[in-house]
Amino acid sequence: MYINWKLREINLKIVYYGPSLSGKTTTLQYVHSKTHPDRRGDLVSLKTREDRTLYFDYMQIELGKISGLKPRFNIYTVPGQVYYKQTRKLVLKGADGVVFVADSQRQRLRDNILAVRDMRRDLRELGFNPEQMPLVLQCNKRDLDDIVPVTILKKSLKMNGVPTFETIAIQGEGVLDGLKTIINRVVNKTEHRL
Amino acid sequence: MSNGLSLPEELMGKIDHILDHLQQKTRTDCIILADVSGQVISTQGHMVDGTPSTVAALAAGDVAAMGELTRQIGEDNPHGSFFHEGDQKSIYLHNIAGSFILIVIFRAETPIGLVRLFAKRAVEKLRELTIEFEEVIDEPSPVDSEDFKTGLTRELEQAFSDE
Repeated sequence: MYINWKLREINLKIVYYGPSLSGKTTTLQYVHSKTHPDRRGDLVSLKTREDRTLYFDYMQIELGKISGLKPRFNIYTVPGQVYYKQTRKLVLKGADGVVFVADSQRQRLRDNILAVRDMRRDLRELGFNPEQMPLVLQCNKRDLDDIVPVTILKKSLKMNGVPTFETIAIQGEGVLDGLKTIINRVVNKTEHRL
Repeated sequence: MSNGLSLPEELMGKIDHILDHLQQKTRTDCIILADVSGQVISTQGHMVDGTPSTVAALAAGDVAAMGELTRQIGEDNPHGSFFHEGDQKSIYLHNIAGSFILIVIFRAETPIGLVRLFAKRAVEKLRELTIEFEEVIDEPSPVDSEDFKTGLTRELEQAFSDE
């Protein structure tokens, strides 16, 4: 978070984290497409030739003045592929809130568990307490066959008590609800600073 | 930095003064000060293409990657500077004490030596201020949090409305 009292701007950083191909980029593309053009910046994607996220995707949402303050949300995704571990940690730096995008397919359960472990380790190494980081769980690909029930997914990821949304990112279902929730959680956490 | 940063007007004034002086000396298009997580702290000048927030986000990625690269080759100081020389426009990045990034965007007719010289002087002054940056300074609450939450809900609905 960064507050500029001279310009009365609040800048907050939200990161979409999760295993490869879980739908992080698709989620951000949907958010971008549904954000009013006056309120959004460009969607920047650093991709490989194979169209996979190399570094991150990024967009900014700028809201109108609220109580004299102008909130800006800088939203990132991390690259999910295993060998971009270091990059994921770099993108998490300075995060105010995280949306974990899990792939609901049964055969991806282990990948989800490993990604959550990585996320918690990265947060600790960056000086955060993972338990205190505003978090939202997005259980994606709920339209596919052979998916894990949400209760089992939450238990496996040790995310009981975390606000959870069943999503179909490719259709946008549940995506904006998840984003609004993380924004509210981030703002609630920073309330004492306002 | 993980707890965030809240800069009062007085400190912002000092930062703006340093950036303004640098811009005058180098006659550059745009100068941005960002933190290492990619949040824009201050901007002087204007960008014809792109936006400062996107440039800051990308610069933060670049600086982080360069820091890791220098560490991989065994360099002790990962907080140096680097630049990209383009045909029409160039960009100079300087990592300030591992916490902030000075970004200078300039045209081909501006000598890189001039940018380097004055940017280094600006970095020295900004480095002195980083001690104040690191102390998170909270001002007395000027905002009613309930009003803010209500306003936030309203603004989010508007931002995501299809109209």
